[in-house]
Order: sequence, then structure tokens, then C-alpha cells
Amino acid sequence: MGVSATVAGSGGRSAGRRRRQAGGSAGSAEQLLPRWLVRAVAAVLVVVSVVPVLYMIVLSLTPNQAVALGTIDLAKLTWSNYTSMWSAAPLAAGLFHTLVIAGASALLSVAFGLLAAYPLTRFTFRGRGPFMTVLIGVQTVPGTTLVLPLFAVLSWIQTTISTQVIGSYWAIIITYMTFGVPLSTWLLVAYLRTIPRDLEEAALVDGCTRFGALRRIVLPITVPALVVAFVFAFLVGWNDVLFASVFTNASTQTLAIVVQRFANNSAAALPVYGELMSAAVVSSAPVVFLYLAFQRYLVNGLSAGSLTGV
Amino acid sequence: MAMKTDVPAPSEPGASPGGRGGRAGAARRAATYERGSLLTRFVHAQRNRPLWMLVPTGVAITVIVIIPVIITVVLSLLNLDVSTLREWLGAPFTGFKNFVNAFTQPNILGVSLVRSIEISFVFSILTTVVITPIGILAAFSVHRRFRGSGVVRAVYLVPYVIPTFVTALVARIAFANGTGFIDQLLGDLHIANRNFYWLIGPHAFWAMQLTEIWATWPFIYLLVLAGLQAIPKEHYEAAALDGATLPQRLRHIVLPELGGVLKLGMLLSTLFHFGNFTLAFVMFSSPPPPSVEVLPINAYFNAFSSFNFGVASAIAVVTMVILIVPAYIYIRATRISEGG
Repeated sequence: MGVSATVAGSGGRSAGRRRRQAGGSAGSAEQLLPRWLVRAVAAVLVVVSVVPVLYMIVLSLTPNQAVALGTIDLAKLTWSNYTSMWSAAPLAAGLFHTLVIAGASALLSVAFGLLAAYPLTRFTFRGRGPFMTVLIGVQTVPGTTLVLPLFAVLSWIQTTISTQVIGSYWAIIITYMTFGVPLSTWLLVAYLRTIPRDLEEAALVDGCTRFGALRRIVLPITVPALVVAFVFAFLVGWNDVLFASVFTNASTQTLAIVVQRFANNSAAALPVYGELMSAAVVSSAPVVFLYLAFQRYLVNGLSAGSLTGV
Repeated sequence: MAMKTDVPAPSEPGASPGGRGGRAGAARRAATYERGSLLTRFVHAQRNRPLWMLVPTGVAITVIVIIPVIITVVLSLLNLDVSTLREWLGAPFTGFKNFVNAFTQPNILGVSLVRSIEISFVFSILTTVVITPIGILAAFSVHRRFRGSGVVRAVYLVPYVIPTFVTALVARIAFANGTGFIDQLLGDLHIANRNFYWLIGPHAFWAMQLTEIWATWPFIYLLVLAGLQAIPKEHYEAAALDGATLPQRLRHIVLPELGGVLKLGMLLSTLFHFGNFTLAFVMFSSPPPPSVEVLPINAYFNAFSSFNFGVASAIAVVTMVILIVPAYIYIRATRISEGG
């Protein structure tokens, strides 16, 4: 039995070694562009990437009026937007709703994903191929195609049972699972496939059930992939505007919606764009830090879904 | 022992279909269970091959993705407005009237479906065409490590990981007429008038286009970088031994290896940008100017502003039909590469 697993395992190890060598002092053989061009490209792209972000940060430290007039004075920066914005818009409530909604849908998505990924990578069975195809296929369904029927179904349920459904936590958590479940299943399939089966098989011989082997052997070594899947599923909820604008109300609206409405309201007579930008910084900082802190794992995950084996 | 648990052993006729585990003693146990009830056999099979674990995901995908897609098709054939939506199961069937209306009548913002299709096409294809070379250059620029390359790699990710609604808000202010960073810069450099009016009229499309390019080139960069890292170092060394020049190395080693990744990346990029709703929705005041009315925006305002759910569903169906070809190619490519 162990042959294929061993081969896969040693293949993984030598790939790792190769990567480490490449990371060290690689020869000029890998040089793909002239050095001056590499430097020029990197310099331009770094500047282009960073300037808008710096602009956002500077504006977030500039009084509303100065932002509206376009008179930014780097000598007059102030933290006041970061204290006043919380009363200008219900940002704290939005943040809380986002954490609840994105967190719950990500947890459920990862749990569903792990359950499905295990049999998909360990057994061959009739229907496995179609299941995988559907898994990839549903990820190509555009959001607008789902928002209409989900709205129709939920408002029908709402009328039928005469209870508020649209605007409840459950409605929006379930809609985010439309993306979270296929995404995390797919990420975990890509990961579990690389885990050698030897350990589980040993546990099975020792009388462990399949489910027991999953819980005791596979789960502990899958933690990094579970974290990656959780983060991606969480970001679905953190970043979404389309579904939240339809399925949330004042008592469940997410940070993205609070900020978006704040922008539209503040475009009126007295623009409060300074506070808007401090809200924007608060909305993006956690995501950016998350990515930079776990860059290695997340980047692998980022390409795992779309790049498996290509 | 010698058999993979996941390969059905053909030499055990009559064993329960799920339970052909080839482990030590399993055959003997299976023989016992075979005489048991159907339920016992099922339980035994599920202990060895817990296919029940597929059920939650299977049900979830069916109920919240597949059935809704079918419902969209049904809705597109019904006469639906704000009064009939709640009872949509009993709404009158109108055939293809919604499709005819979608194609012949502009929505409340004065944009026809054909115009929206055009905008979406130009937007997604232009984005892909521009971000592909940028992404390739970026990947080449950090493929070989140098001092500070870690920081550069991290910085490259920033535009991509900032949430789209934040990018859209920063863009809204950066492109603000006269007072925004872009107008001030262009004015100071004497490239354009300070009053370019980026956020209204026909210029709005280009403001959105530039913003999308800024935010999404790292997608191609990530794919290409991963592709480059997968090329064995020996290939480069062999080429160096043969005295291959830079252009030769690019043409004969890198391009053939990257071909698949690039095709996939461009396909996915077109697919994703076609469905981009958030940028146009957040970057401009509501409702957005006609020149940025991509398909999702058109469907959204038909549904949630004028409550023409039938027409909106028809537009969603048209979107799906347009995306079927790239989606099919994507599914096939992924399924083949993943090995059946």
C-alpha cells in the first residue's frame, strides 16, 4: 500500500529542498531579465502600489474640510478622525456584525469543507468525479446570479412563516456559505492530497475507525490548511458588499455596508471624507496585516485553488 | 495490507459496495456482516468508508447554489414585480418576455442590456490585457531573490489584499474633481485640466478601469511567480551550460512552462472581472453613472431599484450564458490537471 504514499512523500521533500536551495545563493542561471530592468520594474511597481495606500493614510489623518478642499498639509496631521469617526457612523456595530457573520460562516464552511475533503481525497467512489466538477463549477457562478433567487426564496419563506428572515444573521451567514463551502472544500482537497496516508493506515490497522483516524491523525496535521481555509472564507464576508446590501438591515449590517453608506451620506453638503478614510484604514488594516503575517501560507492557498497541478 | 483501502477489490462479489476494505481481518468481519441486515451493512460500510461525510457539503451546495441557479432561470420566465415577488411560485408565466424587455428597453438608469454587455466585455478584457504583462514583469522582478526582495514581494500583495470596497472609496476621493490626488497631479504636470470630471460621464469608465488594474495585477503576478518557482532549477543550469542568452532562456524554458498558467490566469481574470459588482457600486455615487454600468450593476438596479425581478433574472441568465464558455474551459482544465 505504502508505495504511492512514499513516492508522494519523498517528492514533496525534494521539492522542499529545491525551494530552499533556490532561496539561497542561486546562480545567475535563473536571471530572467537584465538586472537594471529588474530594479526599474520593482521600483515602479512598489511606488505605484504604495502611493495610494499612503494617500489613504495621510487623508485619514487630515481634517474633513481639508480633504474636501484638496488642501492636504503634512504639517497639520491629526488623529482626531480616528476618535470622531465612531460617532459619525455605526462603525463599531458594523465591525461586530462582520466578526459574527464572517466568523460563523467561515467556521461552518471549514467544517463542511474538511468533512467533504477527506473522503474526496481518500476513496474512489462512483460520483466522486462529478462531485469535484460541481465543486469547481459552482465557484464560477457569479454573485448576481445567486443574490436574486436567494432573495426570492428568503422573502417567500419570510412571508410563509411570518418571521423576519431577511436581515437576520442566518440569512447572510448562509449566503456567504455559497462561496465559503466550495472554496474551503477545494483548498482542503488540495492540501489533504499532499498528506501521505501511512499514518492513517497504521491507525486503521490498529483498529481506529476512519472517522477516528481523521480526528486523531489527520486533523492535527491539517491545522495550517484549516487556518488558511478559515481566513479565505472569513474574507468573503469581510469584503462583500453585494449580499450584505440586500440581506442585512440596521441590526446586522456589516462594516463594508456601514462604510459604503457613510460614503454616500457624507458626499452631501459637508463631505466627511477624512473620517471616511480613517474608517477605510480600519477596514483594511486587519486584512493587510493578516496577509503579511501569514504571507507564506496564504499565498500558497491563494494559488492552490486555481493552480492545483497545472 | 498489500491493498489500497480505496480500491474496490473485484474478487469479493456480493460484499456491500462501500465496505470492501482490504485490511487484516476485514474480509472475515465483512463475511459476518454480509449476513446482517441492510442497516448493519450500511453502518459497517460507513465505518470503513465514511462517505456520509460528503453529505453536509453536498446538501449545502445543492440547496444554496445549484437550486438557486435553477430558480434564477425560472424567475426569468415569470412576470415578477414587487407585488408578485413574495408569491413568486404563483406568478404568471410570461415566456421570454423578460428577455425581450431586457434587450429592448433601457433600465431606470437609461442603460440597455446590450450596452451593459459591451461595458462588461471591454472592462474585463481590457483589465486582463493590461494586468497580464504587468503581472509577468512583477513575477520576473522578484523571482530571483535579492536584498529586500521579501519586502518587495510583500508590497506587491498590498493592492490585491485591500478589500475592494476600500479601494473603491480611496479611488472615489483620489479621482474627485479638482480636489483629488489624480487631478492635482495631472494639473501640476500640465498633462490635463484640473477639472477632468473622472467620476461622472464617460470618464468614469476609465477611472474605474484604472482602479481595477491597480487592484488586480497581483493576481497574475501570484500565478506566474508560482509557475516560475515550479520550473526545476536544473533547466536553467542546463541552459546556462549551453550558453543560452536571456531571450533564448525566456523563449525556450520559461514560456513553455508558463503557457498553461498564463492561459488559466487570463481566463480566470476575465471571468472574475466580468462579474465585478463592488467597485462600480461603491466607487461612484448611487446610482452610478451610465458608463460604468457593468452587467451585475444593471441586474442589481433592475431588481432592487425598479423591482423588475423578472428582467433582472433574465439579465442574470444572460450573464451565465456568456460565462458558460470560459467557465467550461476552466472546469475542464482544472479537472484534467487534477487527474480525473
